[in-house]
Amino acid sequence: MKTLATILTVTVMFISTPIFAAEECKDTVNVKVSGLVCDFCARALEKVIGGREEVSGIKVDLDNGDVRINLKPGKTLDDETVKKLVTDSGYNVTAINKGC
Amino acid sequence: MKLQFTIGLLALMTLAADAFARPISYPGGWMMMQMNDSNMHSLEIDYSPTANYSVGYVAEYWRENDWQLHAVSLNNLIKRWNLPKSQANIYLKSAAGVAYSDFGELDGKIEPAAFTGISADWEDRQFFTMYENHLVYAGDINKSFMQKARVGIAPYIGDYGDLHTWLMLQVEHNPKKADHFTVTPLVRLFKGETLVEAGVSEDGDVLFNFTMIF
Repeated sequence: MKTLATILTVTVMFISTPIFAAEECKDTVNVKVSGLVCDFCARALEKVIGGREEVSGIKVDLDNGDVRINLKPGKTLDDETVKKLVTDSGYNVTAINKGC
Repeated sequence: MKLQFTIGLLALMTLAADAFARPISYPGGWMMMQMNDSNMHSLEIDYSPTANYSVGYVAEYWRENDWQLHAVSLNNLIKRWNLPKSQANIYLKSAAGVAYSDFGELDGKIEPAAFTGISADWEDRQFFTMYENHLVYAGDINKSFMQKARVGIAPYIGDYGDLHTWLMLQVEHNPKKADHFTVTPLVRLFKGETLVEAGVSEDGDVLFNFTMIF
């Protein structure tokens, strides 16, 4: 009985983890940006994108030229808007991916 | 009037910064740059409606002939190359206003004045290079042309949000000085929205820069 309970628990955890991860990932937009080499200059992204009401925060990876935009629950940003925000900040977009 | 003018200028200038900071902030943002080198002190405050240009106020005090410039500035990003692992820029920096002299026969003289210049830079995560020139016209008070160039290297690569450090070497050419060339090693530090530079030239002149975006 104890073994069965353990197996059931592990199985439920194994199935539910991707579901929870998928829920987190649907509020994330990953943008590949070119020209992203300077922290001081990249502050523009934080000001322009981070200031949007849809956005809860951004994470900048200067090594890989990646910007992760975290959206507030229930909020969305279409690709055209994301591209314009990055371009307005002074950079170029090479790819946009939704989710993790 | 001379005293009030000078006090007003000095009140605006505490520390000083080199002209090599990029003159344009993020869209809707402000930038303040304080400048000090072997030629002059200056203060510039700019507003950037877009990432392509900024407008503002600039004040310069030139030590050798004791004269000041107060002007409206306009900075334009002429061209930017956003490459996968680097960025290059060309800026046009200009201003128009008035110059005032406290020097010799020109004491008390006011002249219309302007300056312009090109600034070009390239950098990646570890290397930096920049060239800038500065052409000034201030009637009888001053006419001059200067150039500067810098190379820099980051001794370590920081992540976003870290304190970043650059070691730089600046060479300046000013034909009006007895020794036309001045070499200044300096250190650039920046974290968040604040950038500071400090160095001492071969002639013992202190360079101290402060730039903030907000």
